[in-house]
Amino acid sequence: MSKHLLKFTVNGKDHAVVVQSHERLLDVLRDRLGLKGTKEGCSTGDCGICGVLMDGRLVNSCLILAIQARNKKIETIEGIGSAENLHPIQRAFVNWNASQCGFCIPAMILASKNLLEKNPNPTEDDIKKATSGILCRCTGYVKIFEAVKTAAQEMRS
Amino acid sequence: MVEDQATLKKLINGNQFLLVGKSIQRVDSIDKVLGKPIYTMDIVPENALYLKVVRSRLAHAFLKHVDLSEARKYPGVAAVITANDIPGINESTALLPDKPLLASGRVRFAGEPIAAIASYDPSIAEEAVDLVRIEYEALPAVFSPVDALKSSAPSIHQNGNIAKHMKLRKGDVEEGFKQADLIVEETYKSQFQEPIPLEPEAGFVVPEPDGSVTCVGSIQSPFHVQTGIAKILSLRPEQVRVIQAVTGGAFGPKSDEIPVDVLGMAAVVAVKTRKPAALAYTREESMVGHTKRHPFVTTLKAGVKKDGKFTAWQATLLADTGAYASLGPLVVIRACFHATGPYVIPNVRTDAYCVYTNNTMAGSFRGFGGPQAHFAAESHVEEIAKKLDMDPIEFRLLNILRPGTLMATSQVVDEACGLEECVNRAVKESDWYGKREQFRKMSGPKRRGLGIAIMYHGNSLGPEGSDYAAVHMQIDKDGIISFRTGLTEYGTGAPSGLLQIAAETMHLPISYFKLEPPDTDFCSETGPTVASRTITIGGRATQMVAGKLHQRLRETAAELLDCNADEIESTDAMYYQRSKPGRRASFREVIEYADKHGTELKEAGTFTAPKCEYNPETSQGTTYLQYTYGAVTAEVEVDTETGHTQVLRMVTAYDVGKTINPLSLEGQIEGGTAQGLGYALMEELKHKDGIVLNPNLADYYIPTSMDIPEIKTIIVEYPGHLGPYGAKAIGEPPIVLPAPAIVNAIDNALGVRLHEIPTTPDRVLIACKRARKDQRPK
Amino acid sequence: MTEISSYWFQRLQGAEGLRRFDMYVPEDLLDLLEYLDSHQTGTHLIANGSDLINRIQRRQVDPKTLVDLSGLHEFNYVKREGNTIRIGALTPISDLADSSVIDPRHEVFREVAAKFGGPAITNVATVGGNICAASSSEDLLPVLLVLDAQVRLKSKQGERVMRLEDFLRGKRATDLKPNEILVETMFQAIGEQADCAFEKVGMRNSLIIAFVNSAVYLKLEKKTLKIEDVRIAFNRVAGKVPGRVKLTEGNLRGRTLNTEASNNATSTLRDELELSSDFRVSGEYRTDVAVVVFKRALSRCASRLTREIVNV
Repeated sequence: MSKHLLKFTVNGKDHAVVVQSHERLLDVLRDRLGLKGTKEGCSTGDCGICGVLMDGRLVNSCLILAIQARNKKIETIEGIGSAENLHPIQRAFVNWNASQCGFCIPAMILASKNLLEKNPNPTEDDIKKATSGILCRCTGYVKIFEAVKTAAQEMRS
Repeated sequence: MVEDQATLKKLINGNQFLLVGKSIQRVDSIDKVLGKPIYTMDIVPENALYLKVVRSRLAHAFLKHVDLSEARKYPGVAAVITANDIPGINESTALLPDKPLLASGRVRFAGEPIAAIASYDPSIAEEAVDLVRIEYEALPAVFSPVDALKSSAPSIHQNGNIAKHMKLRKGDVEEGFKQADLIVEETYKSQFQEPIPLEPEAGFVVPEPDGSVTCVGSIQSPFHVQTGIAKILSLRPEQVRVIQAVTGGAFGPKSDEIPVDVLGMAAVVAVKTRKPAALAYTREESMVGHTKRHPFVTTLKAGVKKDGKFTAWQATLLADTGAYASLGPLVVIRACFHATGPYVIPNVRTDAYCVYTNNTMAGSFRGFGGPQAHFAAESHVEEIAKKLDMDPIEFRLLNILRPGTLMATSQVVDEACGLEECVNRAVKESDWYGKREQFRKMSGPKRRGLGIAIMYHGNSLGPEGSDYAAVHMQIDKDGIISFRTGLTEYGTGAPSGLLQIAAETMHLPISYFKLEPPDTDFCSETGPTVASRTITIGGRATQMVAGKLHQRLRETAAELLDCNADEIESTDAMYYQRSKPGRRASFREVIEYADKHGTELKEAGTFTAPKCEYNPETSQGTTYLQYTYGAVTAEVEVDTETGHTQVLRMVTAYDVGKTINPLSLEGQIEGGTAQGLGYALMEELKHKDGIVLNPNLADYYIPTSMDIPEIKTIIVEYPGHLGPYGAKAIGEPPIVLPAPAIVNAIDNALGVRLHEIPTTPDRVLIACKRARKDQRPK
Repeated sequence: MTEISSYWFQRLQGAEGLRRFDMYVPEDLLDLLEYLDSHQTGTHLIANGSDLINRIQRRQVDPKTLVDLSGLHEFNYVKREGNTIRIGALTPISDLADSSVIDPRHEVFREVAAKFGGPAITNVATVGGNICAASSSEDLLPVLLVLDAQVRLKSKQGERVMRLEDFLRGKRATDLKPNEILVETMFQAIGEQADCAFEKVGMRNSLIIAFVNSAVYLKLEKKTLKIEDVRIAFNRVAGKVPGRVKLTEGNLRGRTLNTEASNNATSTLRDELELSSDFRVSGEYRTDVAVVVFKRALSRCASRLTREIVNV
């Protein structure tokens, strides 16, 4: 079969979309649902830029075929915070000027959120491991680590 | 609120700077942390055609026959373009007119674009690419500058294989070598480094009803693109509107040919079909198609007296610029000027060559010749110190540039030279003597070392071109101050810094300002966003225009308050009559007054840096208007059994003139340091017979979060004469020193020097084996 | 003049995204086995996409139909039954590493997970996917080989069990029949006298294809340090596939664990490995480092067993 009905939940909202077999989760999110926040950096799963949370786990959406996301709960950057009400992680990234070109930031924020949900008091080493699959070329990662530490602190209190 | 003069005076003088020097939030962060659709491929129009590119499989060949008939017929294909479809000139270049947009008759590198196929469905375009049949007649090819310079080498371009030969002649090197007590000669090699902006190149073109086109893309230099597209389409520049979409990293290539390649191909399709056309490169296309750092082979010969003072320095630098020169000639010019490192040397002879080969193109990439020159020079300095049995710090301090001394270009170092302070503070912070003593006594398979490297970096374009920037500012009736410039943001944070400077100049909160996307319809020609010149040249333009606009506001306030303009003081969005501070008007009141009376609050201007005068045959004269200086140490641990090098800690000390935004400054330093670390340890784009072997992120390694050492940044400020508040360029310098510092640290750890980067584990292991052999008792 | 038809050229010419293919989503295991039985050509199993999607993009494989295994949640488990550890084929590497079943003796799986790739990779890559890919970049294989693992294969006709070592036939080749799926791998739990360690070396600290990796299983008589059993595997043996170095194992078995024994073994090891060069790194380097990772893995096993620092 080359077309399938994909039923899944994205950022809390249920969707039913007709997808082709070869479409990736990344394509469905960006092109069908118009959620452009998830980016494509390499198409081969080597940069982590396309990271989204699927049933609470960080995954590379360029390596997941859309139909494999059936019945799953997907969380993308669009589901995190808003301009009026930034998530503490987003606020920390802004305050630390941790976003430079911004391309890796959605994935970094999702990875950080995933980390802090499981480990509210991470060491710098934990933060490095949690973000180790996402490449950043602009920041040297340092301010990203600081932002996550600050966010962790705020979220604990 | 202020009621009396004394309080007003205190308020104004209290903070020397309101905003400059403060870590203000960047203005582009909110959209980015929310994941807003702001990058090029997020905003492609609904009905756009998508292009896929047909590329050469051979590195050097005549195109005997290009058969597109099957592709044209393939269902769903909307257009197929070749060089014959270009309405104007088939050219997409950065400097020399040596490169076509689409190859016609001949290809010079593997991956060169030959044709493009467009369809509403990118998969269809991609399938049609497979149907293109090309018959090549292979030509002899060369893949290294050494081979390209032989008399038997094939000519890649009409005028031979040397795109540029830059010379520096100071004093008399032969005489200098005669005076030397010790002469040290060595050759150093560095590799193709791939910029890897995380967003690959992308762009789309919309044909407008009036025959003009609108181009949107991931670019650094909108005006360069405008000129290029106009030539390709045979339009006037005013008929080509170029808008920079938010750009996910650039580092150099997005200011060279590539955006013109991408938008040029899209534009030809758009104009032919009268439909919007988009082209997004895959990561592999990006890595093969765009410009990267020139590999250099550098031979250095230095003469010193036994007290350690330099007498002579001779350098030959060979740069592999690939099939097309791009900005290679300018890269070797900068490398030529900096080939000695930041030292006082009375006799210097440098020859830098930009050489064509049939590899992929090399061009602009952060550092622009500086990293290559310093890797060689700072490695060589260590060799010399070792042979003299002198402490490397002492040797450097004996010879470094200080105010009043002469550079290799005979330019006099002015008082804005913080090099010595950078060196001393880096030495102290890294615990240089303590650690090196400790490391000497180490045994076991893991060895530690501490190395240093120092630099200077001529700011802005210098001799590379006319250095100017334009800024437009306008206040609308709601009080929003729109700020427009052709200088682009692609991660540096520099345009946010310009807003900080504007806000500082006008004594207004930064929230009043709005940074508009660079758009050739709304700004004047501003030159490229390169050479770390946004804060320096853009900053001066900003000060100038903001100053004029501020004056307008003061004049309007004076009218409102019925006094003279020169009696107006302002602070924190409030305008006071100096002699009677009780008389005041808020920014809002001034705006409303201006609106009511039809006063336009808008100013524009261009700042042009003074021209640099120097002799192009000898490189003697003023090559740059100011210099950034730096010293970096690297502490490494080498696993002598696997060759793996772990960088534990780096101290990065820079003389930045004046810090505009500390957090953004540190971000640039940390990011550049990480790229420099990659350059030193793991990044290498490999070619074999012109074909890139690792054009992907699985086999081309850039540092991950797990590879980053502790980075301690030291900022030193010796204000220069060029930038606003004395600010110096800091975008590029941080990438220059990690490589020599790390190579020197490895030498300290193993007692063996590597002359080639990257110092990948296999190369280090060979060096370890050599060290073990040297240390075995005879 | 070289015209290398490397797979990257396919991708360079605008061949991004995937070629079109059909997908069959089975309702349950029975449906799956039925489908595979009646469609034995042109189909490819897909558990998670990491390996297969890359291979399709590179035109190394051009399937007509993919069969999606991701819905078979019943194969996501890590169980201990008596002395046997059983791991379902669809267990992600991260689940394996987090499972309490592997405590306390099977830390080696955590060692693999730590160097496997970032969280996005370990959350999705499955044990079965690793095994069936049968290549030198599958880190789990050397470990399963030294644990003498078996695999269970199911088809409409029934099931069969075979040794992993026999299941792996060569580079990217397994004994999986067109109508079969791999459902689990199992091995004897590591006993009190034994330990297993994994060591990997690549270009940087994370997201690496190994230059070399090695797994060592060591059974030691703690008082005399006599090597009662040792099993050693590498990601590449004789240049090609993950495999064990049985001559070297034989060289060590029965000897006392000390530097002399280990050095003696490494000379056999160098001959047995036959590692080739490629554009990444030379065969000589790989061999040098193979010796090092073997010794480190061996030392780590010994250290954990004797509770002392052992370096051989």
